[in-house]
Amino acid sequence: MPILSPKDVMTRVRTLAERSGAAQAETYLEVVHFTEVRVRQREVELVRQSAIQGMGLRVFADRRMGFMYTTDLRSNVLDEIVNRTIVLAGQASPRDENKISEDTSPAALDLDINDDTVLTKGPADLTALARSAEENAFAQDNRVHQTLDARCGVQTNEVHFSNTYIPYLTYRSSACWLSVTAVASVGDQKRTGTFSDRKRIFADLETPERVGRKAATRAVARLGAAAIPSAKMPVIFETEAAGSFLQGLFGAFSGTQVLEQRSFLAGKHGATIASPLVTIVDDATMRRGLGSRPFDGEGVQSRRSVLVDGGVLQHFMQTTVSARRMGVGATGNAARSYDTLPAVGPSNFYIERGDHRLEDLVESTPRGFLVTGLAGFGIDVVSGEFSQQVEGTLIEGGKLTKPVEGVTIGGKLQDMLMGIDGVAGDLEFRSNVSSPSIRFKELTVGGG
Amino acid sequence: MPLDQPISRRAFLGRGALLSAAALGGSLLPNLLLQRDAEGAIMGIGQELRDVLNEETVNRILVESLLRGGDFADVFAEQRFRTSIVLDDGKIDSVTYGYPRGAGVRVVRRSQTGYAFSDEISYGALLDAAHVASSVVENQSRVTPIDVTPRRVAPPFALTLPVPLMAEPGKFDIVRRMDQAARAVDPRIVSVRVEYVDEVRDVLVATSDGGFLIDRQYLLSVSCTPTAVQGAERRLGLGTIGGRVGEDYLARVSPEEVARKAARSAITLLTAGPAPAGAMPVVIGPGWGGVLIHESLGHASEGDGIRRGTSLLTGKLGASVASPLVRVVDDGRWANGRGSAAFDDEGTPSSRTILVEGGGLTSYLLDKQNALALGFRSTGNGRRMSYRERPIPRMTNTYIDRGQDDPASLLSGIVKGFYAAEMGGGSVDTTSGNFNFAVREGYWIENGKITRPVRSAVLIGNSIETMQRIEGVGTDLAVEQTRGTCGKDGQLVPVGVGQPTIRFSSVTVGGTAL
Repeated sequence: MPILSPKDVMTRVRTLAERSGAAQAETYLEVVHFTEVRVRQREVELVRQSAIQGMGLRVFADRRMGFMYTTDLRSNVLDEIVNRTIVLAGQASPRDENKISEDTSPAALDLDINDDTVLTKGPADLTALARSAEENAFAQDNRVHQTLDARCGVQTNEVHFSNTYIPYLTYRSSACWLSVTAVASVGDQKRTGTFSDRKRIFADLETPERVGRKAATRAVARLGAAAIPSAKMPVIFETEAAGSFLQGLFGAFSGTQVLEQRSFLAGKHGATIASPLVTIVDDATMRRGLGSRPFDGEGVQSRRSVLVDGGVLQHFMQTTVSARRMGVGATGNAARSYDTLPAVGPSNFYIERGDHRLEDLVESTPRGFLVTGLAGFGIDVVSGEFSQQVEGTLIEGGKLTKPVEGVTIGGKLQDMLMGIDGVAGDLEFRSNVSSPSIRFKELTVGGG
Repeated sequence: MPLDQPISRRAFLGRGALLSAAALGGSLLPNLLLQRDAEGAIMGIGQELRDVLNEETVNRILVESLLRGGDFADVFAEQRFRTSIVLDDGKIDSVTYGYPRGAGVRVVRRSQTGYAFSDEISYGALLDAAHVASSVVENQSRVTPIDVTPRRVAPPFALTLPVPLMAEPGKFDIVRRMDQAARAVDPRIVSVRVEYVDEVRDVLVATSDGGFLIDRQYLLSVSCTPTAVQGAERRLGLGTIGGRVGEDYLARVSPEEVARKAARSAITLLTAGPAPAGAMPVVIGPGWGGVLIHESLGHASEGDGIRRGTSLLTGKLGASVASPLVRVVDDGRWANGRGSAAFDDEGTPSSRTILVEGGGLTSYLLDKQNALALGFRSTGNGRRMSYRERPIPRMTNTYIDRGQDDPASLLSGIVKGFYAAEMGGGSVDTTSGNFNFAVREGYWIENGKITRPVRSAVLIGNSIETMQRIEGVGTDLAVEQTRGTCGKDGQLVPVGVGQPTIRFSSVTVGGTAL
């Protein structure tokens, strides 16, 4: 390995690029350390541990862009990569918007996204937590005597950034996770249930008791599930299902997708696209947020953007290039890794919590369907069609009654968003895309 | 391409002209990009990997891996060279080269796995990885590996002039031709995105049972997605070309025709009505429709879920899992298939496995670890996304074999049903067997005829139940080699899927029309 520090590597590469004919250059280097342990049936099934390091170089020459990445940081390899990347740029088409923003370094933010205690957690510590979570799943219900596995892991991530106008930026972040997938059995029938938590700060992680017991409860709840007849009815997406829905919706808010007419929200800026109960936020500055970072993949200052305010579409999310093409300001939504070009991506992307309790939403639904999980690839943000395999519980007389699976839900995204008539207050962040539970006035359930 | 077959300097230089401006002396980048061997030197496959990992050093690393015991260990090293070209809005938006490389060490004892890797391919880094990986084995006695010997595995098919080695102007040409062809179809095509990605992957596998294997794998994936707009309606088309193919393939397929077909599909869907909701007779078209078998029985047959007893196919060898009309094959040697290779990522020669014969389950898909635990031999299905991951049992090219029925006859007698012409992606829960896959282009079947187009919708089912509802299998088998990336446990690998036209008595469709 080179003795050079990440900063030295980047400075050397960027300076060489600028000397060799690139008008502007940008380097992005990542160093990731992680350890994960998986336990199954009280035995360690996998210990996976390693370090990742890689660098991406983006150059602009004559308004043309070239990009190259490698995990091979030997200095003579890097020299060659610089030259190749510049030649590469010459093969792309010129675009006036292709350039690096002349912004200087972003201001420091107090994000609290790094916890050095994760570094002290070795395989033995992680094994103990995973084992405990699995034991708790077994203890919760006598129909659970198997798991797919229990996982516990920690990770630290260093980002080093530099471009023609910003000499050097860096930040560290950490992550830790604990999950169990329990298997509940009755006779020949088996159903799984997963509960997974992920946090920045180790002390914030859910306890093994709660993770194991929630997973077991979910698995058991699916036993005996059956399809219901096709019908239109009110449907509540419980928080994790609502989060999957929001994740699927994300692409519609991408400036790049909107520019190319690949979003059903294209041309809707300033229009009402959702019920007044719906406010959608992307906030890269949330303390301890899983998607928080001081600057994005292009060195742009992080911020909080209200994309949909009380149902009205206010903003799309942008990289610097898409923002220039659309004639709007940057939003700091360039997501990337060292091996990808900056592309529009979410930071902490969520639906703002509402006033209801989930229990109230259920109680005020005479006959409906509480969806706990979505599966599949049926959210099309171009055509605006929604069609998913779902599972959950039937609501009869305001009460949760029978478990349901083997059914679909279909609708148009536009109608679904407009038809949201209840937003609960149960927003929690176990992923960088999260939502409280939401109720849709009426959707089509396709059943047996 | 046979092991170690040299690429002649002339064949190579003819292809790399555009790069020569960048060529520098004493380069360390993969041989295929270099002109330093200008005097006719032979470019050996995996040479950069072998420079560090020769028979002697891998033996020492394997000894270190098994110092604390274990059933077996392996060393896997890899380097890739990727070229990607993205065209959007009529312009070449970006051109990317990627050069990821690294190596990992795995130690296995029964169901336990230790895995560690390094982005740096060096003897020291891999000895460290061996120590970390071996820590999973507690208090066992030392095991001595068999010294490795280079092994040759016959290539699954001949590949001359692989597309990734083609001169770059040819690659840009494909991208531009597809863009122009798609736009020319109709003024309602408002944007076209074309993504070209190719890859040369050198792999080296050294195993504690004495194997030492090296291979070079080529892969091409090109997708063309035109967007059609009319009023408030927007629809996407999708056309793909690719596979593990040579330049002869580009002479056989017409990139323009693929692009035009994608554009026409987007235009057709502009006038699509709502898809039906609920259970009804369904006919699924050939080729990419094989997503069905991939999700319904393919994943459930993978050995990890069988060993753990969490797959619904556990203990079902010999049992009926599909209609008697159904034969299912996983073929790691299918010509030009995305899932094809000479050997899998743990050094087992790839093979053709009959999963289902006459509706009965005949085999599982196995890697070494799960085969050992279940008392079988590996079927050559141990695959990994990269050196950063351990191998797990995966499908290669999986298809429902051809049947006896005239495809057109499969529509007859259906008064009201659904025809799935083009599929999207799918997923499955292998414990319950509940699976889904998206239909990008679907039509009503009315009185035995394909009639009106409908909006995209998912089809859902339960593995065995749905496969037993097959009542007709066409003669028109097609295995899709141009798209298909399967995700499992965070690892993405290229796969092929296929089937002939298939008719089901009933499948649930996730539309909105009741």
